[in-house]
Amino acid sequence: MPRRIFFVIILAGAAALGVYWWLTAPPIARAVTAAYTPNLANGLTTFNAGGCSSCHAVPGQPDRAKLGGGLAIPSPFGTFYAPNISPDPVDGIGRWSESDFVRAVTEGISPTGFNYFPAFPYTSYAHAKTEDVRDLFAYLKTLAPVSGQVRDHDVPFPFNVRRNIGIWKLLFMDGKPFTPDASRSAQWNRGAYLVNSFGHCAECHSPRNFLGGIISAQRFAGGPNPEGEGWVPNITQKGLSDWSEKDIAYFLETGQMPDGDTAGGLMVRVIRNISQLSPDDRAGIADYLKSLPPVDGPPRPRKAPKEGDKS
Amino acid sequence: MIRTVVIVGTLLLGVGVVAAQQDQVAKTQLAMKSNGKNLGAINVMAKGEKPYDQAAVDGALAGLQEVADRFATLFPESIKGLQPDGDYYASPKVWTERANFEAHSAGFAKAVVEAKGKIKNLATLKAEMPALIKVCSNCHETFRVKKG
Repeated sequence: MPRRIFFVIILAGAAALGVYWWLTAPPIARAVTAAYTPNLANGLTTFNAGGCSSCHAVPGQPDRAKLGGGLAIPSPFGTFYAPNISPDPVDGIGRWSESDFVRAVTEGISPTGFNYFPAFPYTSYAHAKTEDVRDLFAYLKTLAPVSGQVRDHDVPFPFNVRRNIGIWKLLFMDGKPFTPDASRSAQWNRGAYLVNSFGHCAECHSPRNFLGGIISAQRFAGGPNPEGEGWVPNITQKGLSDWSEKDIAYFLETGQMPDGDTAGGLMVRVIRNISQLSPDDRAGIADYLKSLPPVDGPPRPRKAPKEGDKS
Repeated sequence: MIRTVVIVGTLLLGVGVVAAQQDQVAKTQLAMKSNGKNLGAINVMAKGEKPYDQAAVDGALAGLQEVADRFATLFPESIKGLQPDGDYYASPKVWTERANFEAHSAGFAKAVVEAKGKIKNLATLKAEMPALIKVCSNCHETFRVKKG
């Protein structure tokens, strides 16, 4: 009898391990086989919309196209260091195939088959069109290679177990490509696409749960700065109701708010990229943001407002 | 008796110092708000929401210069860690990365002088506006924190 129990436990353990392995296994890659002539201009647009240089450009120098990585990205789970994505064959992505790149950007899986940490916002990039990602790859290939390996992430156990990210993805990643809303204008759809895919606005402008997944009911409603001190504003109509579409587009171009105030914190980096997009693309983003229904964000851990204090 | 006087005196001195610090935080905030008001005043012209008005531009730039000239002194060590009412506070980096902060501060003063020399009409205002905004937001990027 005890032997049978022992046997059952072994069997259950093996089954659990099997299920874990199956749940955490990388999915089948999106096929990128059809011949394709990349559009480099669109690749540059994609690069700017995606904000690639905000994290991957070498810190402390002004060249947005020097993608040697190295920026420290603090988070509640540890500190990540943005990798080298320059076309350097040894330290960068110079030897990657196009399929490797599409899979990395849209599924968060490395060429050798391990999961990337979602500090890399592939949860948003997953909604991108494959052609846009192919154009981006072709554009990155035109940039100067930068040598130098970036140090390893500083992430403690258990968050450093990359297979667990497979389960995290099942819980928090909706990998479906963007589907346009036929009842809306082309401008609105372009904005919705940019905001939800490459723009990855929701990654900072939404609160997250204790596992680091976005709380979807409060998407775009702001929350604590995921990189540390401070607060990220609510960009639903709860927070931006007194901004016109023109105000939003102008802010994304210049960093100037309607009340005379200017952008600060991480948004300054975002504007360095978004200001390079076409006015039509910024108008699309503004159109889409104005259509977001007002949603209350998480409560701020703030002192009770004093009498006569408006906010 | 003497002991009481000394204790009360020390306490009063302490209260005085704290009050002076809070006073400085409020003064600093007021100066930043004045910057926002002045930048906003010329920005509505650049955006085309109000007609170009040279006198208003001159006034706004003079206001910006007045603050820019004493900018670094608005952030003495004594107000480190203190928070005013409102949406923002100064990051501790203002003091821990002082040289970088003072470089930004000097850049602000320089940008205002350049803007004063160049802005003569709507076209030059539009051309100069981005540089002026950048000087503000490049500093806010590192040294200003939005309150939680």
